[in-house]
Parts: sequence; structure tokens; C-alpha cells
Amino acid sequence: MRRSDLGEFEEVVLLAVAVLVPKAYSVMIAEELERETGQNVSTGAVHAALQRLEQKGYVTSVLGEATAERGGRRKRLFTVSALGGRVLTEVRSVRNRLWDRIVPPTLLEWS
Amino acid sequence: MKPSQIPKPNRRTGMPDHAPRWPDRLLAWLIAPHLREEVLGDLHERFHRRAERLGEAQARRRYWRDLLAYVRISMIKRQPADYPTPFFLTPGMLRNYLKIALRNLVKSTVFSAINVIGLALGMICCLFIFLWVQDEERVDNFHANGKNLYTAYQTFSTPGKVDGKYGTPMRVVNQRAVFLLEDVKSAVPEVQNTVFYATGYELPWGHPETFQTGEKKFKLEGSRASPDFFKIFSYPLLAGQAETALNDIGGIAISRKMAELFFGSPRNALGKSLRYENKLDFRVTAVFENLPVQSSLKFDFLLTWEAQKSKLEWASNDFRTYVQLAEMADPKTVETKINRFLQPRLAKNTGVTTQIGLQPFGEHYLHGNFVNGKPDGGRIEYVRIFSGVALFILLIACINFMNLATARSVKRAKEVGVRKVLGSTRGHLIGQFFGEALLLAFLAMLVTLLLVVLLMPLFNAFTGKQIASPLIQPSFWVSLLGLTVFTGLIAGSYPALFLSSLQPVRILKGVLRFTQSAIWFRQGLTVFQFGLAIILLVATIVVSRQTRYVQKTHLGYDRENLLYVRIEGELMTQRNYLLFKEQVSRMPGIALVDRSSEAPHVMGFVVDANDGAANTSNDAINWEGKEKNVSVGFKPTSVGFDFVKLMNLKVAEGRDFSQANATDSTDAFLVNEEAVKQMGLKKPIGKWISAWQKKGHIIGILKDYHTHSLHEPIKPLVMDVKEYEYFGVILVRTEAGKTKEALASLGKVYKELNPNYPFAYQFIDQEYEKLYRSEEVMAKLSNVFAVLAILISCLGLLGLVMFSTEQRTKEIGIRKVLGASVSQIIMLFSRDFLRLVWIAILIASPIAWYAMNQWLQSFAYKIDIAWWIFAASGFGALAVTLLTVSFQSIKTALMNPVKSLRSE
Repeated sequence: MRRSDLGEFEEVVLLAVAVLVPKAYSVMIAEELERETGQNVSTGAVHAALQRLEQKGYVTSVLGEATAERGGRRKRLFTVSALGGRVLTEVRSVRNRLWDRIVPPTLLEWS
Repeated sequence: MKPSQIPKPNRRTGMPDHAPRWPDRLLAWLIAPHLREEVLGDLHERFHRRAERLGEAQARRRYWRDLLAYVRISMIKRQPADYPTPFFLTPGMLRNYLKIALRNLVKSTVFSAINVIGLALGMICCLFIFLWVQDEERVDNFHANGKNLYTAYQTFSTPGKVDGKYGTPMRVVNQRAVFLLEDVKSAVPEVQNTVFYATGYELPWGHPETFQTGEKKFKLEGSRASPDFFKIFSYPLLAGQAETALNDIGGIAISRKMAELFFGSPRNALGKSLRYENKLDFRVTAVFENLPVQSSLKFDFLLTWEAQKSKLEWASNDFRTYVQLAEMADPKTVETKINRFLQPRLAKNTGVTTQIGLQPFGEHYLHGNFVNGKPDGGRIEYVRIFSGVALFILLIACINFMNLATARSVKRAKEVGVRKVLGSTRGHLIGQFFGEALLLAFLAMLVTLLLVVLLMPLFNAFTGKQIASPLIQPSFWVSLLGLTVFTGLIAGSYPALFLSSLQPVRILKGVLRFTQSAIWFRQGLTVFQFGLAIILLVATIVVSRQTRYVQKTHLGYDRENLLYVRIEGELMTQRNYLLFKEQVSRMPGIALVDRSSEAPHVMGFVVDANDGAANTSNDAINWEGKEKNVSVGFKPTSVGFDFVKLMNLKVAEGRDFSQANATDSTDAFLVNEEAVKQMGLKKPIGKWISAWQKKGHIIGILKDYHTHSLHEPIKPLVMDVKEYEYFGVILVRTEAGKTKEALASLGKVYKELNPNYPFAYQFIDQEYEKLYRSEEVMAKLSNVFAVLAILISCLGLLGLVMFSTEQRTKEIGIRKVLGASVSQIIMLFSRDFLRLVWIAILIASPIAWYAMNQWLQSFAYKIDIAWWIFAASGFGALAVTLLTVSFQSIKTALMNPVKSLRSE
């Protein structure tokens, strides 16, 4: 598996989906990411990322119920697929292995 | 979701929803349909949540930024539909259409050939007529000032009658001609130039004029024109100046042809002297390029108007007047101004009012007839008739296509069914069948193009035109393309609509029945086609019979072996004329020689005809018992003693002129029966009659004979002997079969007695036939058209019969097994078609009768449209139909039923 298959933003979105399941849809994900990163995240960007993830088969989606504040429109709910789960784990283990090999004094503590 | 279902702010829930509306609309248009719902939902939800948290203003600002985040390809790109309806002009579909069309073309070669040939014939007709019409319309339309040039015409009104003719009024003052419009330029500011023009060769007195330099003598036809002629008309000058070409009374402008004839080259000609009619000398002041064929004014030389007024004889009183108006001048206002200028100058108390009208110069060639004193009709009628006929022939060919395509739709029906089931819409099918028709029309166009190029010389010879190859003209290609598309669309219209309307369920079940209306429509088309063909057939018969009638009818005189020579030069003295007559009469091959003031087959000189121009109070011809205010249009002529004998005229009453009678040259008149009738004389013989200053008695009455073409009725004729005047023509009756000797004799004597003039002669019978040139062309063209119409109709019929025999092979087999005879089977096929032709005959005959009756109105003497003409053309159509039908049906009827029934 090539690294480029999962971009950084995609990875974060995928993680957010995993966190928010079963109520993972663009608005929730965007707000979650805004909360976690403190930066503005547009639903459009999230939506695009979700589309890419779905194309790659890392998430699946169904149309959920409509709510009044959406103007009576339905939302698309995402769940992480098995493949998505495996990719996430792999990415994490790569990172963990690398973290584990860092000799303690190399990284200076922030504040 | 369709755009009309764009989610609107929800009012149902009562929730406040102030998300800006028009960005929504923008997004709804931008975002792919399958994503619209979630995207808009997300945006709205986000807006609400922000509005609750941060307030509406903040939310609104963020809304815009969020919105922009959606402008990306993945959001905009439309999702391919699960069952896409491909655009029917995709390359794939086009290839399929083309393939199917070509397969069908190749599979039924005969039908395709019938269609292509038919359409090509129709298109050739149309193209040639188009070229002809285009050429007709170019006549006189090449002058640079063209749109400001006008031809003046006069309208004469007398109580109860309005006449018109070209020209302008003139009066004779102190024996000099004064043209009343001569100084109109100074009175009407819009008139920039006025040009007078008269030919020297038109009837009644015109003739080719003789020019001489050294030993070179030629007769040429030319005109006279006033000084501004070359300024307003664009005839390029090779030598000399437009301003001075026609100023000098002793000057002459000659054509390149004439310059080369006399002087070798245009450059050499300038300033040289030419002897005119052996009495006047003219100096060449300009040489102009030979006139283009598109010029309706024809002349090889131009003498000046001043010379015409003071030194030359008038050929006719038809003086054309052309004016050049200022740019933007309104001809109507100018007409009024000219008339205001003219009225005080006209002769008073003539009982006739004369008005001047202006006709655009480019129009007078096609619109040269006068109705009620205004230009109306003329050659344009032929243009219209031929264009109409050509279009009709194309229509006949298109009908072939329609009929065959619909009849054969049984074969295509399954295809239509399958296409419809596979998702083709009606529009696609209409497109497909139109496309096939266009393809066929295109093939026909290629054939047309080839044939037009090949037939061009023949066409030129046929119509007497000089149309160059049209392939280099863009207008030709545009019209060719237009014609092709037009043909394709007309031909394809009905089949496309019909085939595309078939119901797939019924086709695929195997039942295809034509509805009654479809059958009627198709039969109607066939009737229409044959109706047109029959009309053209009738027209052909009538036109060719009328043409033969005018050429063969006995004119009242014997026009065979009769020729005439103009009296000019030395012959114009009594001594030389008598010498000539006496010498020639003794030569071999000559039967009789005499003179006449006009060539007897086209006597154009008419006096006292109350056409408004003549002065009624002072008639030239008077007779015993003439009532006041009676005006009779006479043709006066003076002849020699032997004229009646020479012409072989019949004397109905009284006696012929006789040299034995001493008083005959001073006191005797002959009149014709028509004259007696119109003068209202009871016992004419012995009554006195006077012509101008000469008074005498009527000694005999001639049987009516034609002095003009048969377009005109016979006019009253007054004839006397004038031994002292020698103008007009010398008539020579040659002995039958000895024309050659006679000409040799004449030429010899002529050369001796009149050495300064070339010997020229005309045969009366040939000249007479030239009077009917346009009828001749009409006859030839209607022949061609009728043959084409019949041919194309029969092609279509053949196709229909072939198809129906093909369809009914089994039926024929069974009928034969059950004992039907060959003739019964042929009858079975023929009956339907013959019935249609019958109906066509019934409908077409009255129309043809009406049309031909209209045409014959232009002749004073005409054939009756007899019933047998319709019978003959009807019979012809029926016979051709029967022949066409039997050609195919006999083959089918003779087929062994074993074969036709075996095939499954």
C-alpha cells in the first residue's frame, strides 16, 4: 500500500468518522475537526475528502433521516469499512513503530 | 431532482431559516444533481448551528466561505446515468445511422437508383432554370450607377382607355424635333443626367447601316445617343473620353468589333474617318468594348443625338429616354416634378393626357409590357412559369421518394420497432430518416453536378444564352447546397413523420397495416404527380401545335421563294431602280421583281391608330363618308404595279393595279377587307379615299392577308402605286429550285449598279420564322419538361409496382393455383394505378385548359384547344402507366406458382 493513498486530511477525516459513528456526517465531522484542531474546516472540504475515501473503499455511506434545520433534506451517514479500519491501523502502527524508535532526548518538550 | 424542485427554505416546520436564498439557487445549478440534497442540507444545517452559536451575521459570512469550498470538480461533475439516453448525434450513433442507410441503399439498388435518378433529374431542372433566371436578372444590372438609372415611359389617357409605352414626348417646331425633356435637368434638381437613345435598326424604318472606308464595306446595327450616354452607363471605353465621345456632331463611337473590322485595332481607329451610307463622313471619337451579353441595349456604333436630329433619318419614333437621379432621390417625387415641368410644354387640346413615369433601368428588360399604361409583366412571366415548372418537377421527384419510402416502410418497420424498444425517441427516428433522405439528396446532387457540367454547352445552345461554367461562382454552390437540403427535407418529411409514428408493439407483433388516411395520402401524391405530368403534356401539345400553326398557316400570300433587298444608295433614284428591275428580271432564276415600302411580313408603320400619340383631329387617311371622330389604325403602304401578282395576293372584288391604266399610279387605291369593314363602306369600289396629299379612288379590294406576326390581328391596309418614290425594299420572287442562280444574278447586277453597298438579302420565310423565336424556345422547353415529368412519374410508379408485386408474390401464387389467368392478374395490378391516373386526368384537364387558354391570349390567331388534346394526353398517360405497370406485373404473373409458394 502506497502512502499517497491516504492523505493527511483524509486520514483525519477517516479517524473522525470512526469516532463519530453512527452519527458521522459532514457537518458533525467538520465541527469535530474544528474543535480538535481549532481551525476552520468547511463542510465542502470534508465532503470532498469523504467522496475520495468512499471511492477508495475506506468508508461506506447511507442516506439518513431528514431534519427540519436541514430544510427537510436528508444527510449522508458514513461508517468506516473493514478496509478503512485496516488502513487506519496500518498507518497507526507505522507511526507507532517510528515513535518507539525515537531516542528520548531527541525531541525537546514544548513548554 | 429537477431544478424546479430546488429545496426552498422550509416553512412547514416553522423553523426560522434565513439561509441566503440565491446562493442556494446558484449551488443547485452548479452541484451535480445526485449530490444536491446532501450538500444543501449540510450547508443549511451548518448555517443554523452557527447562527445559534455565533449569531446570524457571523453565520452568513461563513456561509459564503463554505459555499466556495464546494466549487470543485468532484462536486460539479455529473454522475453518468444508469440508463443513459445518448445524444443521437454522437459519433457512435451517426456511424450506425450511416451504416444502416448505406446497407439499405445497397440492398435495394433498384429503389435507390429510382430515387437518386428521379431527384437528380428534378434538381438538374431546377439548377438550369436557376442559372437561366439568374442570367435573365443580370441583364442590364451591371451598370455602376445602376440603382440610380431610370427608364422614362409615357402613359396616355384618353376617356375610357389608358395606354403606355417607352419614350418621351417630342414636338416638331420649325421642322426640327424638340424633345420636351431635354432641359429637365435644369428644372428638376434630382435629375442629374438625361440621355436620349434611339436605335437605327428597329422597325418600321430601321435597318443595318452601311459603313465604308477604302474598299472595306460592312453593314452594322447601331444607335444614336445624347452626349451623357457613356457617363451614366458603364460601357468601358478602349479609346477616347466618355465626356467627349458623343459631343461632336460629326463624331461616332464604335465597338471594338467594328474597329477591328475597319482599322485592325481600337487604337488605330481613333480619329479615323468612316463613310456612312455613302453620303456622310464621321470621325471616330471613341472605341468602346464589345457590349456584354447582359446588355439589352445592342449597338455596334453610336452616332450623336445632334446628328440624329439634323442629318439622319428616324428609324422609329421609339426614342428611349434614360435619366440618372441623385443618390437617395425618390423616383415618385421626381416623377411628379417632371410632370409639373412637362405639362405646360405639351400640345394643347389633343384629348389625350400624357404623363411621364420612371421605371428602374434594370427592370425594363423583364418588365417590358404595359398594362393600363404602366409597365407590368413581360419576360418575367416566362421566368415565373419556368421556375414554377422546375419546382414542380422537383416536387414530382420528391413525391417519388415519399411514396417509395412509405410503401417500403414495411421493410423498415421492424427496425423502427427495435430502435424504439431500445430507447430511441421519435425525435431520433425523425432525425434518422431525414438524414437518410439528405444522404440520398446528396448522392443525387453529385449526379446533378456531373450532368450540369456535361450538359452546359447543350443548355446554352438551347436557350441561346452564353452562361459560363457556374462552378466558380459561390452563389451557384450556395444554391446547390440549398437545393440539396431543400430536396432532402421535402422528400424526407412524410416518410420521417410516418415511420417514426409506428407503434413498436404492433410492429413487433408482425401486423403493419397502413391506416386509411396514410393510404389516401399516398394515392393523393400519385394523383398529384400524374396531374402535373398531364398538365405539362397538354401544355406541350398546345404550344407545339400553336407554334406549328403560326409557322405553317397560310398568310394570304406565298412566302416561299421570296426574298427582299433594301433599297439604298444608287438604287434610290427612279432611273437606277428601273434599270435594276429591268436587268434583274431578265436574269436566270428570277420570276418577278417589284418594290414595297416595307418588308411585307412585318409592316410596322401604322397611322391614325388612336393610341394617344396621334393627333386625331388631323387624320392622314380620309375617305368618302367618313364620320367625324372615327379613327382607324391603317397600315399604309406603297408598292409597284406587280406587287399583287408577285405576292400572290387574292383580289376579292374589283381589279388589281395595271400598267395599262394610265391613272393607276396617281388615282388608284387598293384596300383590304378589314379596311372596308372598319371604314364602314357599303359599296367601296369607286369611292374616293385620300392618303396624306394624295387623293384617289378605290379600285379593288384585297382578301385579308397577314402583314405582321400572328400575335396581332390583321389591320386595315391601304395600298397605292408610287412610281416616283424609291425607298423600302425590292421584293424578288425566284423560280422554285433556282435560288442559287437567282442570288448570283441579283448579286451581279447589284454590284454594278450600287457599288458602294454590300449586297445583303433576306428570305421572307426565314425572317417570318424568326418572329416566333420565344415561342420556339417555349415549345422546346415544354417538350423537355413534359418528358421529364412523365419519366420521373413513371420511375416512381415502377417502384411502387415492383414493391407491390414483391409483397403480393404469395397472393399471386395462390390466385394462379386457383385458376386465375395472366391477364386477370395484370388487371388486378393495373386497376388501382389506372384509377389514380383517371382521377389525375379529371383534375388536371380543367387546370391545363385554363392555363393554356391564358397563354393563347397573346395570339390574335390561335388554335382551338380541342377535346382530343386532353384525350390524347390522358390516353398517353394511361398508356405509359399501363406499360410501366405491365412491365413488372407480367413478370410476376408469369412466375410459376410452385416457386412463389415454396419460398418461406
